[in-house]
Amino acid sequence: MKDKKFISLVIYLHNNGACLKHFLDQVLPVCDKKFEQYELICVDDGCTDNTMDILREYISKIQIGIMVNVAHMSFFHGLESSMNAGRDLAIGDFVYEFDSILVDYDPAIILSVYEKLLEGNDIVAASSRGKLRFTSRIFYALYNKTSRGSGKIGPETFRLVSRRAINRIKAMGHYIPYRKAVYRNCGLCAATISYDSIHQGTGRQHSAAASERTSLAFDSFIYFTNVMERISTIVSGAFLLLSVGMGLYTISDIFNKNKPVEGWLSTMSFLSLGFFGVFALLTIILKYLSVMLNLIFKQQQYLVSDIEKIVSR
Amino acid sequence: MAQHYDKIIIGAGLYGLYAADFCVRKGERVLVLEYDNAPFQRATYINQARVHMGYHYPRSLTTAIKSAGYFRRFYEDFGFCIHDRFDQIYATSEKFSWTNAKQFQEFCAAAGIKCLETSPGRYFNPGMCDGAFLTEEYTYDAKILQAYYEDRLKENQNAEMLFGVRLHKIEKDGRIFRITLEDKKTFDAPFVLNATYASVNQIIHKTDGIEKTFFDIKYELCEIILCRPSQLLQDTGITVMDGPFFSIMPFGKTGLHSLTSVTFTPHVTSYESIPSFGCQRGIETEYMGCSPGKLGNCNTCIHKPDSAWPYMSHLADKFLKPEYAYSYVESLYSMKPILKSSEVDDSRPTAIRVMSTSPTFISVLSGKINTVYDLDEYL
Repeated sequence: MKDKKFISLVIYLHNNGACLKHFLDQVLPVCDKKFEQYELICVDDGCTDNTMDILREYISKIQIGIMVNVAHMSFFHGLESSMNAGRDLAIGDFVYEFDSILVDYDPAIILSVYEKLLEGNDIVAASSRGKLRFTSRIFYALYNKTSRGSGKIGPETFRLVSRRAINRIKAMGHYIPYRKAVYRNCGLCAATISYDSIHQGTGRQHSAAASERTSLAFDSFIYFTNVMERISTIVSGAFLLLSVGMGLYTISDIFNKNKPVEGWLSTMSFLSLGFFGVFALLTIILKYLSVMLNLIFKQQQYLVSDIEKIVSR
Repeated sequence: MAQHYDKIIIGAGLYGLYAADFCVRKGERVLVLEYDNAPFQRATYINQARVHMGYHYPRSLTTAIKSAGYFRRFYEDFGFCIHDRFDQIYATSEKFSWTNAKQFQEFCAAAGIKCLETSPGRYFNPGMCDGAFLTEEYTYDAKILQAYYEDRLKENQNAEMLFGVRLHKIEKDGRIFRITLEDKKTFDAPFVLNATYASVNQIIHKTDGIEKTFFDIKYELCEIILCRPSQLLQDTGITVMDGPFFSIMPFGKTGLHSLTSVTFTPHVTSYESIPSFGCQRGIETEYMGCSPGKLGNCNTCIHKPDSAWPYMSHLADKFLKPEYAYSYVESLYSMKPILKSSEVDDSRPTAIRVMSTSPTFISVLSGKINTVYDLDEYL
């Protein structure tokens, strides 16, 4: 008995055609066996190699009938925006988001995630128990410590999101800078299934992707945590103390009857330090402003050049 | 041997019968040749049944204005088969749309067609549509229109209709065209109108003695789903436009709604000059017979594809609020030719080609019902 629920698989493609065949070989049979209806949404985030050809060829030869839609992004958008586009195109009751098409897990995990969702969760992620990169560890630790919301985040290989959760986050706002964090903070039940990585494979990162993720990390901190608020408080507090100290020093100078001219060095250093503090604060305010600008004014978060349907058989 | 006529019209769709009626009113003897066993068995019946007002062409203002003009005329002439008592809602999707709410409004204002802003929240789930507009657009009932034309042509002795016809060839012979059927019957006339829509290139292929210029078209095997609307949806038509979206609107006066979607309605596509599909294999000689040279009726075909209902309904459900419900009744299939050049700028004119004069051979291709008046000046 196949399950009646309609499933969407959203996968992210950016010059990673080499893994594509293995991914589809592993994932599609599992889904085909379990679900009566499902669709595959491929997000082509500015692929410049033969990834799309590999996809078309694979689908045209495949034995199982499947609906495939490709969202061609107008230019390289990065993972988050592209996957937002993919999810917006998906029509399923439940949407799988495969941020990476590297399969380092037993495909049965895909179904475990589904079962877990049916237990009453709206977001279920699959997470590898493998070792994390140092920077990632710092990011998650810092994030979870300072996050405003209750949801703790961690590394996720792929996740399953219900239509209810998608509707919820749509109602919350337009701008979804970091899906993981938004899902975890939407107030619905979330769960994680951990698995042991089958083989050691580290996802190679594109240089553009790496810088994009760094910027995303900072955005996420501002958007979801109060770490920047804290920093700015500390900075302004430090400068306040400094100015008080300088004031005391000046006063003691006067009482010690020192010649005022000799105090110019300390005055100047105080001034320059003071300005430095002001500029530091300004930088943070500007960062805040840019995030607010995104929240309020950015209507179209991504640009899609074409939607292509690939027919099997 | 051969029977003589003033005009021979190939194809008993709306364009064919309109032309036949137009000519017999002038006192001409007209013969209509049809592959199927009755008129209106294909695209005239199997489509969204939309009487276009021009809303569909936000990227081509001239087409929109022309559509709006014909809309009025069609409504006056064929009011008896038109269902106009429902709210037609056009909405612009927040994501993936080529047109946003503001652009759509500006476009309607420029084309001079009705467009009253209404709340997207009334029809759609939050975050799906950024604009919803109450518009003026109707739907026609092909069955009523069919009965109307059958009656009119039957009572006129100048008109003759032949069904189940298998055309063999069309030859130019001096000042006439001679049409030979597979059963060796022949007819001739100084005027032939090729109004066969999806078979337009196939008919051109069968001609002899004139220059064969084919229409630059691709073919899509399309599925229209008929569904039973809920109480609330009964008097509402909803179209989310200009992108990979859907439309659910009354289907003539049948009480049913047609459900279509841009991505899931076309099942398979052929980019050949004549429609060549994998599903034709093995049925060239069976029952109706279907081959790249002779298109059968997809709706009665044994090889018609599985319904895309799960996909289309999920797409619509994603947008629509649950109270606008509907249930599956049946699927209709037909072949749709699409002029390739129109894909870019959205201008889908009625293509009429005079391929020969004295004797005259005209081919017409149009995807819209109310531009049928374009034919007048050629008849």
